[in-house]
Order: sequence, then structure tokens, then C-alpha cells
Amino acid sequence: MRVWSSPLGGYPRCRYLRRVLRDFEQGVASRWEVEEAVTRASATVMGVQIASGALYVCDGMLDWHDIFRPFVEAWRGVTPGGLLRYFDNNFFYRIPVFVSEPEASHLVLAPRVKRFLPLVEPSKLKVVIPGPVTFTAMAENRTGRSFEELAGRVADLLAEEARKAVEAGAELVQVDEPVLSDPDVSVDVARLSAELCSRIARAAGARTSLAVYFGAPSSGVYEAVLDAKVDYVAVDLATSPARAVELLKSKGFGGHAPVLGLVDSRSILPDDLGRLSELAREVLSGYDGEVGVTTSTWLDLVPYQYSIEKTRLLGLLAELLAQKLGAELVRGGGV
Amino acid sequence: MGGYEVPRKFPTTVIGSYPKLPEAEEALRMRRSGRVDRGKFRELVNSAIQGVVGDYLEAGVDVISDGEQSREDMVVFFSENLRGFTLSDWVRVFDNVYFRRPVIAGRVEWVSPVTLEDWLYATSISRGRPVKAIVTGPYTIVEWSFVARRVDRAELVLEVASALRREIEKLVEAGARYVQVDEPALSTRPSREDAELVGEALRRMLHGLDARKIVHICYGRLERIFEYVVDYPVDQLALEFKNSNFRLLPYLKEYSYSKELGFGVLDVHVTRVETVREVLEAIEKLMKLGVVGPEKVFLNPDCGLKRLPREVAKAKLRNMVEAARKAREVW
Repeated sequence: MRVWSSPLGGYPRCRYLRRVLRDFEQGVASRWEVEEAVTRASATVMGVQIASGALYVCDGMLDWHDIFRPFVEAWRGVTPGGLLRYFDNNFFYRIPVFVSEPEASHLVLAPRVKRFLPLVEPSKLKVVIPGPVTFTAMAENRTGRSFEELAGRVADLLAEEARKAVEAGAELVQVDEPVLSDPDVSVDVARLSAELCSRIARAAGARTSLAVYFGAPSSGVYEAVLDAKVDYVAVDLATSPARAVELLKSKGFGGHAPVLGLVDSRSILPDDLGRLSELAREVLSGYDGEVGVTTSTWLDLVPYQYSIEKTRLLGLLAELLAQKLGAELVRGGGV
Repeated sequence: MGGYEVPRKFPTTVIGSYPKLPEAEEALRMRRSGRVDRGKFRELVNSAIQGVVGDYLEAGVDVISDGEQSREDMVVFFSENLRGFTLSDWVRVFDNVYFRRPVIAGRVEWVSPVTLEDWLYATSISRGRPVKAIVTGPYTIVEWSFVARRVDRAELVLEVASALRREIEKLVEAGARYVQVDEPALSTRPSREDAELVGEALRRMLHGLDARKIVHICYGRLERIFEYVVDYPVDQLALEFKNSNFRLLPYLKEYSYSKELGFGVLDVHVTRVETVREVLEAIEKLMKLGVVGPEKVFLNPDCGLKRLPREVAKAKLRNMVEAARKAREVW
């Protein structure tokens, strides 16, 4: 059995970066200064992840205003619209407004991979993309095309992003489908997500993960998710632990390696690692394969210093869990 | 306070917040940096409230607010003035905009009036128009704070409700006739359990008070808990309709809605100004349902106007007021 850790996604901006971005908005900092600040701040959060022993490290997505924005800005046929609440968080994203079939004008991920790959040693770099179903469900569709058609087109563009990112050196592509935790999401929509994520995974040609968070999905949705041809399925166990544990125990992992969202990235309370490792043991009972531990969602919903602390706790949790399971702990660089 | 008669049909109102005027921005900036004395802060905030009330009067709004000019944020403001809170570092709200998310670190208690001074000042210059007394609800305060105590969430919500009850009592004693509790967080996690918890908290806060009691909820999937919300111990539900293309309307019929309705006819998330005709069409949609009569319908924006440019906010209100005037001629 092998255990590894990887924070699920984005980090909050440190004070320095917030200030540079504000200065840029006010016209007193140049784009070059922003790039420089983002690189420095990203190097820090990557270093924090590497130091925690994370196998897969993300760049922190520090310059993304929300998960959709960089793609919206890189594609023709879609623009950022008004603000809308992002799930049950006190955070708002700009609604992508699709007015025609989207076309890529430039790539988002591959240039980032080239920029951050030299900083990731000895871990592996992962890229994160919004899932096509979440992207489409949270957008305004003025294209005249059906939901399925638009989601399919979005998936094609994201698949190309994934393929190029892997070519550039990314070793894991994580597809985020938080909308699948919505109790109103139908099994049909989940099936569509699984199909489109499989399409992205095929194009990527590297390890891929499908992440569902902001709660545990319903039983039917989870079953559909398990049909996705990806390597890992990540589930949030922090938002409603009892329901998530019941779900994973009853449905298993469908041939995927589970990635357990145990560290609560929406709370500032220190996580009880003993309790979390027991929770993981319960879920993993009878399972003997590879397992990842992660945060329940991105870390950008807590203040900066807590994101650092939560990353440290995640590394400790992986160590503790490996010890309790008698498993091999796989750290970045294989040390 | 007398002297202004609120129209019997389609009175117009606001949810509460208004774009921050420069004086308010300055006051908040100075307070954040600790460079302001109480007198100077009051002077700046009063000046901002004066500007807001002036805009409301000019637009012709019937039941107004103080524009929440002294509130950095709807939750932060209460956390700064109730006992039991500390503030965390900055957390992003959107784009590159942040707020200091409160931390509930101790028992939450009311210490002294939080909103009263602003309300009194707005009332003193409102030319008789009623000023809504507005408090952020306990559920929203808890949901949008970090909790650094090991405490049952429902108990904590009710604890905050008890603290807010003291604030509301002070406002009603001072003459507030419209009391509004804002619970925008409820619709983001629309479960029966949470809806019932908010109902219990409202009972605790509003029971026996001699005022028009309002709860404001916006966005999210309110229809999933509407059957519980309609039974809340309030006189009026002030709800968002425009942004969600009036999705909630059929539910009014389904649940035989009989309270007053704060009908959201202005989308506060877009800078486009709704035309008078557009607002009238919205009113027509509601009237066609035949659920509530014009005497029970208050027209308001979907939510607070704070994110809009001031001129846009004012233009939207102006058109809403004009639409109300025309609607009174029709219905």
C-alpha cells in the first residue's frame, strides 16, 4: 500500500502579491512587476508544499481571480459577467457568459507549466482545470446550443489544455467538478461529467484525477463518477464526514485510487490528525492500493498563514496514516 | 418622525447597503489604520449617510436605510461590535477584493448598541420617511465567520441570535418600525435543518417586538426550503427575484404565500439600469399570479446596492420608484 499527499488546489495571496495586484489595477505597477510578484509568491507556496512532502504540487493559481477566469480570458466567445456566489462560500466568481461557440485564442496551462516546472523539484507538478460540467453549469449559455453541446465543446478545449500541459511537463491533471456535490445534480449530468472527464484524460495521456468537493455527492452521482476513466477520484470528507464515509464504504472506489479530502480547508481550527487517520482507515478497510490524502477543497478560502499550516498538517497526516496502515509513504522525489 | 405617508400600494424600499461614499471609505480606512478618533469617525460617517439619504429622497424611495456606510462588511461590522469575536487576516471575496473574516473565539454577547447611532442619524434627516433597522442574521454571521470554539453550530447560532435580540430591542425602543434581519447565507446551504434553525433564531430575535418584522434572503436555492421559510415568524420576506429570472414566483403560489413580500425587481449584480417598463413587467408577473395584492408588495432591489457605482444605484432606484408610481395607477 502506498500513501501520498497533495493539497487539492489554489492558495490565498500573500500581502505582497495582493498589494502588487492592487497597484497594477490602479495603474501604478507594470505587468512585468505582477509577473515577478506571482512567480515569487508561487515559489513560496510551492516550497511549502514540497517541504510538507507533497507528491504532487500545484503552482497555487495565485493570479487566477476564480477557477474559470483564466480560461474565459483565453477563449473567444465567452466573457466574464456579473458576480455570483461560489457554492456556499462567501466568495464570488464572475459568471462566464458564452455568446458563441468558444475557441481558444491562447493556452493557459502549458506556459504556466514551463514557468513553474523548474521550481517543483523534487515533487511532481500537477495542473488543475475546472470540470466541463461545472464550467457550463455555472455559466450563462447564450450560444443557442444545448447544455450538453456546450459542455462538450468546453471539454474539447480543456482536453487540449491538458494535453499541452502534459507535453510541457505536468505529471497530473486534476479536473475539478464541485458541482457534482450539489444535491440537485442529476445522475445524467454526472454521467456526462464522467464521459467528458474521460475525454480529457485520454487527451492528457498522463495521470488524471476527478475531484468532487464542497460536500459529498449523492450515491447515484458518485456511482456515475466512478465510470470516469481517470486514475484518481478525490472526495471531500470534511464538509459532511458521516455521509462521505458511508458513501465511500458502501460504493468503494470503482477501480480508482481514492484521494481523501480529509484536512478541512475551510476551517481555521487545527485538524485532529488522529481522528482523521482513523476516518481514513475506516474508509480504506479492505483496500490495499494507492491512496492520496488531500485538503477538502482549495486552500484559498482561509487566510494565508492558515493555508501554510494546513499544508503542514496534510503532510503530517500522510505520515501518520502511512504509519497506521503499515504503508509506504511516497514523498515528492521518492525520499 | 411623522409627516410622511408610505404609499398603501407598492411602497418602495431598499435592502440596505448603498455604494460607499468617499467619506465612508475614508472613515473605514482611518479606522482600519487606527488613526481616527470617535468624533471624526462619526463626522465622516454622518456625512456619508447624509449623501445616501439624499440620494434615496431624490429617487423617491419610501422606506429607506442608512446605507450601511459604517459597515466594512455585513458580518465584520457586527463582529467588531459584539463580544466574542476577533478578526482573521484577509480572505478574498472576489477578484482582488478581500475582507477580514471574523473569528468566533469566545462567547458571543451584546455589549452596547451596534447600529443605533447610524439609524438615529438617518432617521433625523429622512424627512419623516421610515428608516429600516437592519441587522445581519445570526446564521449568516456564524456561517461567514471562522469558528475557533469547539461548539455545536446550532447552539452558536442561537447564542448569536440572543445577542442580536438586545440590539433589535434597542432599535425598537428608539422608534424603529421596520426591522430587517439579513440571512443571505441560508440559501447557499438550503437544508431543512438549517431552515428550521433560522426560524428558531428569528423567533428568539423578534418575538413580541412591536415593529414590522422582515427577513431578507437572496440567491441560491431558496425554493428547496421555501416551505419552511414561509412559516417564519415575520411579517415580510424580502427576496431576490430579478437575478434568477423570477424563478421563485411559482413557489409563492404553491405555498399559498400570504405575508408581505419584498419583491426584488433590480439586479444588483449588473450595472445595466432596468427600465421602468422592465420593472412594470416584473410587477405584472407577480400580480398575474394573484397571490398577494398591491398592498402587500414592497418593491426593492434584489439585495444591497453596495457593489454598484453610485450613479447606477441611484438610476436603478429612480426607475423602480417611477415604475411603482405607474403600477399604483394600474393595480
